[in-house]
Parts: sequence; structure tokens; C-alpha cells
Amino acid sequence: MATGRKIGVFICHCGGNISDYVDVKAVAAAVANEPGVVVSKNHMFTCSDAAQQEMIDDIEGLELDGLVIASCSPKLHMFTFRDMAERGGINKYQYVHVNLREQCSWAHTNDKVGATEKGIALVRAGIAKASLSVPLTALRVDTIPKVLVIGAGISGLRGALALSDMGLSVFIAEKEKEAGGTVKNWGRMAPDDQHGSAIVKSLLDEVKMRENIMLYTDAEMIEKSGYIGDFKVTLRVGGKEAVQLQVGAMLIATGFDSYEPQEGEFGFGLDGVVTLPQFRDFADHQEGELTYNGKPVKNVVFVYCVGSRQKKSEACPEPNQYCSRYCCNAGTHMAVCLEDRPGDLNQYHLYRDIRTYGHNETIYEEARTRGAVFMRYPDAEAPTVANTADGLVVTVKDKLMGGEEVEIQADLVVLITGMVPKKNPTLMNLLKLPISKDGFLNELHIKLRPVETVIDGVFLAGAAQSPKTMAESVGASLAAVSKAGGLLMKGYVDLEPLIARVDTDKCLWCDECLKACPYGAIEKINFGEKEVAFVVKSLCKGEGACVPICPHDALDIEGYTDQQITAMIDACSKEVVTA
Amino acid sequence: MSRVSSKMALAVKCSDTFNADACMHCGVCTAVCPMGIEMLPRKLFRYVQIGLEDKVKENISTIYSCLLCGMCAENCPAEVNIADNVRFLRKYINENEFNLS
Repeated sequence: MATGRKIGVFICHCGGNISDYVDVKAVAAAVANEPGVVVSKNHMFTCSDAAQQEMIDDIEGLELDGLVIASCSPKLHMFTFRDMAERGGINKYQYVHVNLREQCSWAHTNDKVGATEKGIALVRAGIAKASLSVPLTALRVDTIPKVLVIGAGISGLRGALALSDMGLSVFIAEKEKEAGGTVKNWGRMAPDDQHGSAIVKSLLDEVKMRENIMLYTDAEMIEKSGYIGDFKVTLRVGGKEAVQLQVGAMLIATGFDSYEPQEGEFGFGLDGVVTLPQFRDFADHQEGELTYNGKPVKNVVFVYCVGSRQKKSEACPEPNQYCSRYCCNAGTHMAVCLEDRPGDLNQYHLYRDIRTYGHNETIYEEARTRGAVFMRYPDAEAPTVANTADGLVVTVKDKLMGGEEVEIQADLVVLITGMVPKKNPTLMNLLKLPISKDGFLNELHIKLRPVETVIDGVFLAGAAQSPKTMAESVGASLAAVSKAGGLLMKGYVDLEPLIARVDTDKCLWCDECLKACPYGAIEKINFGEKEVAFVVKSLCKGEGACVPICPHDALDIEGYTDQQITAMIDACSKEVVTA
Repeated sequence: MSRVSSKMALAVKCSDTFNADACMHCGVCTAVCPMGIEMLPRKLFRYVQIGLEDKVKENISTIYSCLLCGMCAENCPAEVNIADNVRFLRKYINENEFNLS
């Protein structure tokens, strides 16, 4: 079958990773006569500079118009070879990557014959796809040099200042009437004793001085449209006024909520049983001896891991299984703060495991040496808190005494509560950001793309993503700033053209594709005499939900057309004959 | 079940003599004790640290059978001065149980 194409096929040994199990020379020979193939070769490492140069020479010398490289995972080298194709003069979307390592050699180390047969089939499918490839052009979108930061806590404020430093215009939208977030009224904080209130004040003072930062408080997002580089957002400010903004990127710095214990959980609801944030609300603003309801506090019990590291049970059907990271540091630091105050105070810290990693370990040590008593309780037998004739009594089993039970009379019981995801249904509905199993916002890749989201141009800044300390939140926020800055300072963004296209002859507009698209990328337009579907290119992700659902077969994904997929299946199912 | 005594807890905390914070509960002290003292020092010190006065008083005879030879402290990998801790306990008991001062 003559295809009129000139396709080059290169099979990689991967230094043995592939060739130890797949007979790569047999693969190259078996596909050499496939329709359209003009060259079929092996390389020890196709990714090496020398091999790339040889392939470029082949592209130029043989005037190739399609390229298939069978090597490792496309996650590792697809972009390497796309760039190489471009340097050789082929459109990079006419390059097809075949994963011969993860999906063949590594998976079939016990069957070399079978692995080779499968390798031939996979490469044939790649050739079939390349034969039907057409040149595509990246979608270039101009970006608006403005950013919307959602949330005016530590992360949001610090991020806004950094964006402003880059010369970008910044809008901050804060839901509460007052900016500053969780720590705005807090006193000394771990690890360096700076007051939360002082940090917030210095950031806010700076934000107010910047001409290119606009802070809206009592502001809620009510509408969002557009795409990376050009979002249109409407805020409702002060409950009425609607403010329209046009921004190129967004930072989500919505933070967290503190875990609210259930009634009766560690005695919560009894007088004298408070959460750590509630404790800070009064303790941080007192001078001298610690008092509660006007009476001096002589014995205080802290209970750690409240609302964190929960196990599923009848009482707790949806447990928070994660560690909230900041609480051990906050609890041990609070112990030191209390030791610094005058008065005869005994403090008992009931914990499951102490996780004061990094520099915070010294705070834990200081707390212990200065007299705070730490008692480890068994996971399955948590302390109980009861109101008795003697006041509050905490009963705990101390693991260091082999589980002996101890009663502590307490003037105050402080529950060190963890972080839970911020409840923000309206915003979440508008942003359409995926939420992880534990309810926090999901990043694109936990290690390599830690602040990006599936929505291009929307970045995670701080504890909205997962429990974080203040330093970690600011670190994440500045990472998000660098991603937003990198995007907007360039002035434009190139998007993958592997997206849906509508055959206007076949389309009869039934709205099935509109309903199927999770990205809102389908619109109805008038086309000549009739109405048809239109794909907003910058919104489409090429996910393909619209394709199979179309009753008129009017949709296709560029680079993954029905015709290409069918040809690949046919090529895969051809009988493999090896010598 | 025993209850924490605030008084004892505070006395322990304010004492410059008693210090068992570094104890890592290895048990070397027990192994080297020439008296074969029944009460494990590490367990006793845990009672003291938490302020469990009842438990301490149950073990008065043990506390007074110590020779203060210092073998335990000499061998303690966490450098807890166990003999000093016993001296503190005797003083506390003399004052609060036997009303000697």
C-alpha cells in the first residue's frame, strides 16, 4: 500500500533496558517494509546527542515527513524528541513516541519472544499513526500581566508582594471583612517567636503602599470564565458591588479551617476544654500569670492529634487520616511560652508521636527540660476528659509506665486541633479544581509540579493544598508566584494543539458534547444556515469526552483522530512473523 | 489508677536536683544495681516526673534501701544522675511524709 509518506523509524536499545528482553534488531527489520517506512534503524541510546544528530541527518537527507522513535516512556523523552524533530525540520506533532521500555521490555522480562512480538506490534501501530499525522501548530495565546490572589492570609499577602515585585498588577480577594487570615491575632509562633499579628501587620502595611496591588475584603468570586493568560472574574464586594477583573493567572491562597471537635470529643463542650486556636484567642493577649475565666491556671493538659491521624470507626466514619504537620510544633512551642510566664504552672502534654522535625526539635527539647511533662498515650486508648466534683479530670494511659492509668486534675484542657480543608463550595464550583481524597486541593504532580493544577494558569499557594506550617505555606506561595510570573512575564503562552475539532458538515447541534465536556470548552455558534458546536481552543484539553458521545460522529481529537486510532488497532492486530 | 499531685509535680519541676528528663528507659540502671532493687529506677522516676505521689509513697522502703553507690549513674548512657535523684526523693519524703525538716 503506497502512502506517499516518508517515515523514519528508530528503535532504542536503552543500553540493554530494552534490548535485553526485546530483540530490537528483529523489530527494526520487521517494520522496515511497513508502508511509508524509508529507514528503520537501531541506536544504543536514541536520547544521546550523537544519536540525535544522526537522526537529524536522516530527517534532512531522506526528507522524512514522519518520525517514530521506540524508546522509554513519553514522560521521559517525548519532549526531547519533539524538539529534535523540529530541529530536523519536521513538524513536532508528526513525531510519534512508542513506549518500548515501560510498556514492553520491563513488563515482559520473562518472555523475550513474546516481548519482541509485542514490540513489533507497538512499533507498527506507531507507524500507522505517523502515516496519518498532519502538521499542527501550537495555539499561541497572549497573556494579561495581572494576577488574582484569592485569600489575604500570610500566603496570599506574601505572594501578592512577590508578584508586585515582578511588576505584575495584583488583585487580592479576601472573603472575610478583615485581611490577615488565621494568624492575624496570634502571638508568639514557632519557631522564631515572631508574633503572627506582627507578621501580618508588616505584610499588610507593605501591601497598602504598593500601587500595583488592590486588596478587596468581604469579597467573593461569583463568576469565572476564560482560560490561561486571560481569565475573566467577577467579584461581589461588600455583598453588593460587582467588580469585573481580567487576569492572566490566579493564586489560590484560601488556607485551611481548624478542626472543630465533635461534642464530647476529649470533653469538648465542657467548660475548660478548648481548642488551641480558642486558647490562643485569650492566652496570647494576657500578660503575666495564665488565667482562665479570671482564675489562675495551675494545671493545664494538652491533647495532641485531635482531628488528625484518625482511624475509621463508627464515631468517625470519614476520618482525617493525614498528619496536620504544624500541631506538634505549635504545642511544644506553646509549652515553652507558658514556661516563660510567671506563676506555678504544671503542664502535661498527651501525645501519640511527637513530630517536631527540623529546627523545631530544639523547641521540644527545651519544653521537656524546662519541666513540661510529655506522656505518650496508646493509639487505641485515647485519654478521656470528665467533669467531676473535683473539676475536670483527664485520664490517660502512659506508655512509658507500661500503660498504667493516671488521673490529672486540670484547670484547662487544650485540644491541639489539626487542619481541615477550607469549606468554600461556591469558589470550588467556579474553579472546578480537583479535590484530593482528604478534601484539600490537588496539585498536578506531588513532587515535580507541586503548585500547578489541572487548570492551566491556576496555582496553589499554601495550606489550601495540604496542611502546612507558616514557613511551608509561604514557600509554596512563592513557588506559585514563580510559576505565575514565568507564565505572564513572557507575554504569551503556547498551548498543545491536540484538541477537539468539529466537522461542521456533520454537526447538527444536539448539545451532547456541551454536556460531556468537563472544561466548558464547547459553545454553540451559528454557521451559515445552521447551529453547530464550536471548540474554545484555549479551554479544550483534548480529553476526548465529546468524541464518542457525538451521535453524528462530528468530533475528532487532533493527533488522535478516529482514523488514526483505527489504523493503530489494525496495525497492532497484524500477524507477527519473526525469523 | 493514681492521681497526679500538683504539689509534688511542682516540687519536681522546680528542683535543681531532680532530673530524669534524659532517661530513655533502657534499663541499664536496673541491670547493674548491686542491691537488686525491685523497683525499676526508670519506672520510679517516671512516677516522680509525672507527680504520682501515691506511687512514690508505696515505694518508700525501696527508696531507702538504695546504697547511693552510684553504679547506676556511672553506667547510665543518658547521664542521668540517679543517686542525686534518690537524694531528692528522700528529702521530699522526709519533709512531706515523716514531717522532718
